[in-house]
Amino acid sequence: MNADDWLRAFAAELHHRRVRPDDARHVVAEAATHLRDGGGDPTVVFGPPGRYAAAIAESVGAAPPPAPSAPGPVRLHARGITKRYGRRTVLRDAGLTVRAGQIAAVVGANGCGKSTFLRICAGLVSPDAGEVTVGSRLGYCPQQGGTADFLLPDEHFVLVGAGLGLARGPARRAGRAAARQLGWDTPGDVLTRHLSGGTRQKLNLTMSTLTEPDVLLLDEPYQGFDRGTYVDFWDQLGRLRDAGRAIVVVTHLLDRLDRVDLVLDLTPAGGTDRNGDAGWGGRA
Amino acid sequence: MDIERRGQWLRGVLDLCVLGLLRDRESYGYQLAQALDAAGIGPIQGGTLYPVLLRLQRTGLVTAQWREGAAGPARKYYRITEDGRAALRQGGRDWVTFVRPVTGLVAEGVDE
Repeated sequence: MNADDWLRAFAAELHHRRVRPDDARHVVAEAATHLRDGGGDPTVVFGPPGRYAAAIAESVGAAPPPAPSAPGPVRLHARGITKRYGRRTVLRDAGLTVRAGQIAAVVGANGCGKSTFLRICAGLVSPDAGEVTVGSRLGYCPQQGGTADFLLPDEHFVLVGAGLGLARGPARRAGRAAARQLGWDTPGDVLTRHLSGGTRQKLNLTMSTLTEPDVLLLDEPYQGFDRGTYVDFWDQLGRLRDAGRAIVVVTHLLDRLDRVDLVLDLTPAGGTDRNGDAGWGGRA
Repeated sequence: MDIERRGQWLRGVLDLCVLGLLRDRESYGYQLAQALDAAGIGPIQGGTLYPVLLRLQRTGLVTAQWREGAAGPARKYYRITEDGRAALRQGGRDWVTFVRPVTGLVAEGVDE
């Protein structure tokens, strides 16, 4: 990547992270001056545009969020969800409404039914009471599993693509492009069983976005991610939201609640749907 | 030198090193990187240096101003503030206090 291309990509990434235009202009100009003085490959001097932009955003802070755009149509509506295993009630009257262009976080203590709630939304588990309505196409990324040990990553993309009626070539390219959004360059010749746990999760996540679902259900998909990938993951969720997807993500990592629109807390004691609570609902 | 270890050390003191360089004269990013290298710290990439400068600026330890140099294009010049001098004094003392016993502990092992 030459300096001009890098600077353009960097400026776009700053904009995407809502760094104030004034700050962004200064930072880009300063980087341009530095590259002119010192030369060198910008991806070596400053790193990849996205990562450097993230570091800058962290250093200068981002602009206050724009007034939330009018919420899109409802994509997922769950109400009165109750689930019992034997005598144990895992979920009692849980509900969540997610619209196009929103990220909802499902949080709560271990064992409070977060994954069960998501599996019910995905239609993999039947609730004892309540109902779920989902708008058209659904993507689901389980906590683990979901990949085939003896297939290459590319073959996974071809497989998912086949379900969409895509030819092998385009499916492979789409998969690799989606993987790159997570900062992952898919190897051409490594069996999935030889990938690390974190990398298998990237594959999992890539597959769930590949079908371009209207509703994306993610069950703590970032286990085993390193710090950089974790940041890329939330950036990618932001892009998918901006593209109008409705996203539900199960998480126990509370540090990213500033990036979500809704929070459903399934902890039994509180047991409240914090949907719409001003203290939790803001976009960052 | 072990690159990873050097990186860890730098993260802790790069802001102080920059304040130290700015103590006597204002400077701009590229010049600071060269001065750090010349001082023996080693090469510092822009991706490491500018976020530190931005943080120093945001916390009021330096001020910055775009200006045309005597020759060449406009550059963003950084200048230390009184708060920056105080931070350098305190942080510098802390560093010396920290590094002296470390040196004491490891020095004997160096020549073995």
